[in-house]
Amino acid sequence: MADVINVSVNLEAFSQAISAIQALRSSVSRVFDCLKDGMRNKETLEGREKAFIAHFQDNLHSVNRDLNELERLSNLVGKPSENHPLHNSGLLSLDPVQDKTPLYSQLLQAYKWSNKLQYHAGLASGLLNQQSLKRSANQMGVSAKRRPKAQPTTLVLPPQYVDDVISRIDRMFPEMSIHLSRPNGTSAMLLVTLGKVLKVIVVMRSLFIDRTIVKGYNENVYTEDGKFFLCVKRSFDVLVFALRTDVSVLKQLVICKLDIWSKSNYQVFQKVTDHATTALLHYQLPQMPDVVVRSFMTWLRSYIKLFQAPCQRCGKFLQDGLPPTWRDFRTLEAFHDTCRQ
Amino acid sequence: MYVMHNSEYPLSCFALFENGPCLIADTNFDVLMVKLKGFFQSAKASKIETRGTRYQYCDFLVKVGTVTMGPSARGISVEVEYGPCVVASDCWSLLLEFLQSFLGSHTPGAPAVFGNRHDAVYGPADTMVQYMELFNKIRKQQQVPVAGIR
Repeated sequence: MADVINVSVNLEAFSQAISAIQALRSSVSRVFDCLKDGMRNKETLEGREKAFIAHFQDNLHSVNRDLNELERLSNLVGKPSENHPLHNSGLLSLDPVQDKTPLYSQLLQAYKWSNKLQYHAGLASGLLNQQSLKRSANQMGVSAKRRPKAQPTTLVLPPQYVDDVISRIDRMFPEMSIHLSRPNGTSAMLLVTLGKVLKVIVVMRSLFIDRTIVKGYNENVYTEDGKFFLCVKRSFDVLVFALRTDVSVLKQLVICKLDIWSKSNYQVFQKVTDHATTALLHYQLPQMPDVVVRSFMTWLRSYIKLFQAPCQRCGKFLQDGLPPTWRDFRTLEAFHDTCRQ
Repeated sequence: MYVMHNSEYPLSCFALFENGPCLIADTNFDVLMVKLKGFFQSAKASKIETRGTRYQYCDFLVKVGTVTMGPSARGISVEVEYGPCVVASDCWSLLLEFLQSFLGSHTPGAPAVFGNRHDAVYGPADTMVQYMELFNKIRKQQQVPVAGIR
């Protein structure tokens, strides 16, 4: 109800203000008419001057009066609705041409989307903070004074040390061979060949394992701009060179890069890649990274019987077309992905 | 000597001897054999082929086809291939379980190819040897149609 009264007062004041403007305009034009007409014909010069001045003054007074009236009325009209919540962006909605410039609707959508994004990011950060995934030795929330100036020592290791650790692990297991290369700077890239079952590409960051990709034994692990390929593929249709040598000879011959991005063509190995990523997050010991690498390799070695071991829980080999791809982290027993506890 | 083609390897041609080596060659090998017709006596046996559909389930490749010799149909062939595994003897139990799920009582025993070399990598030549044995079996049993499974 208050809004209605507000509106009607404004409207009355509006109409009065409009008529006041018209009155002001007419009085101003009377002033200029009077000036244009000049002095009237009277008997004496003084009489004419006096009449002219009196007329002129009358007109100016009426202009003054009308202006004051207009000012009073404009104060009554008031500012256009201050209770408009959107302020400047709300004025965009007054644009009537919606087809060509749908600014306001787009603005609303962008606003809603950014709100939703913020909400989801908040939820995600809450969930992620519950599980501590930090693998370095730095602690959160240490004050600036006590924070060590240099990086933790486990992150900056000489490459020779990394090479030594890897070669020791290579000699540990007979059926697993590890080949180390550094094509992209100081981070090591390992190509682990497990028997004739699978190949794993491990990207490291000093002695921490960063990423793994698991591929089949017969799949290509090199990028295509290399000149020689290790081709033990069962199908001979695409590749030109099929060198039937073993990997150690090819280590010297290979002048192409490991492909660390493309996934395996087989669903089994895509699943094993996911499990390997879980494993590298599970085995964490920031102070002794070589123990971590050793335990990861031990876990990986259990995949030598990927196609031969039945699931410990259901006893079958296949579940949804997949063999038991999960290896327990402590006992190294084989389970189907859906059967694991 | 048998000359075989496989649609899975469209650019290759396989020349097989029974219990002997298998040659994998380019498709022009056919033409070469025609040119060498003077030196070889081509046997009277007519062409056997199996034709059908190819299915994919997870990493398994199943090819079901009708075996025809000339104009007459002789049987059904089922081929199951498990992609990820390269050593034949490793995944036999896995394959067996898969076969039993849809073949039931018709599941065959382990093929002879597996027995010889335990750790050798499986290749397309092994597939062709199995097909050759199957076709020979079908050829011998001329009257009764046989369901051959690989």
